[in-house]
Amino acid sequence: MNAIASYLKSLERKMKKNGTFHPDTLTEIESHLLDSVEANLRRGLNQAEAEKEALLRFGSVNVVSSSFEKERITVMQKILIGVAVMAGLFSLYVDTRPNWDDTGVLAMGILFVCGLLALIGFQRPWLLALVVGAWIPLHGILFTHNYGSIIALIIAFIGAYAGWVVRTGFNRFRHSV
Amino acid sequence: MNNETLKGHLDFLLLSILSNGAAHGYAVIESLRQRSGGHFDLPEGTIYPALHRLEEQGLLKSRWDESSPRRRKVYSLTVKGQGSLTKRQAEWMAFSKAINATVGI
Repeated sequence: MNAIASYLKSLERKMKKNGTFHPDTLTEIESHLLDSVEANLRRGLNQAEAEKEALLRFGSVNVVSSSFEKERITVMQKILIGVAVMAGLFSLYVDTRPNWDDTGVLAMGILFVCGLLALIGFQRPWLLALVVGAWIPLHGILFTHNYGSIIALIIAFIGAYAGWVVRTGFNRFRHSV
Repeated sequence: MNNETLKGHLDFLLLSILSNGAAHGYAVIESLRQRSGGHFDLPEGTIYPALHRLEEQGLLKSRWDESSPRRRKVYSLTVKGQGSLTKRQAEWMAFSKAINATVGI
C-alpha cells in the first residue's frame, strides 16, 4: 500500500471514531493529495518523495481529523444550547404550575438533563448549569422572593459537572488505549 | 504569521479567493499560499473543515466536477457569501485604517 492510501485509511479510521467521517470528504481529500503529488512530481521529486511532501503539507491524521471534529463541535454546541434553553424553560413551566406537586421529579429531571447534555458533548458545564437551572431561581427570587429555589441551580451544577467528569474521563481512557 | 492569528481571518481569506471564481480545494489552498507570498501556510487539511463550514452556513455552494480524470469538489460563492465578503471587507478596511493610524504607518 502506498503512503497516500495508508494515510487515507488511517484518516478514515480516525474520522469514523470521532464521528466526522463522510465518503465524499475522503474522496475530496484523496483528490487533493493526488493533485499535490502530481505537482511535486512536476517539480522533479520522485514518487516516494512527492507523496511524503504532499502528506507533510496536508497535516498529520490527528491534526486533520481533530480540525474536522472542532468544526462539528461548533455546530453541535449551538444545537445543545438550544436544547438546554428549552429544557430550562420547560422546567420553569412545570415549577410554576400551582397544582403540580413535582419537586422531586423536577429536581431529578434537571439533574438528568444536565448530566445527559454534558455527557453528549456540551463543552462548558458551568454554562450548561446556568442555561438549564437559572430560570427557576430567577423567577422564584424576582416574583415570589423564594430564595430556596436556588437549589434548582445547585442541582443543575451537580448534574452538569457529573456528566462532564464522566465524559472527560471516558475520553482520556479512549485516547490512552 | 502565527497560525492562530491566521485562523481568525481564514473565512475572510477563503471568501476573498473564491470571489475570483469557482475553484476546488487544492486550487483555493494554492491560491492562498501564492497570494500571501508563502506567509499563509496552514496544514492544507485544516482548510477543508472551514470550507465545509462555510458551505453549511450558506456562504459557499459546491458541485462535483466529473469532467476531469478525478472527481473534484468545486466551491463557489453564494449571494449570501458575496454579501458577507463585502461586509468583512468594509470591517477590515476600517480596522486596518485604525491600526495604521495608531501605530503611525
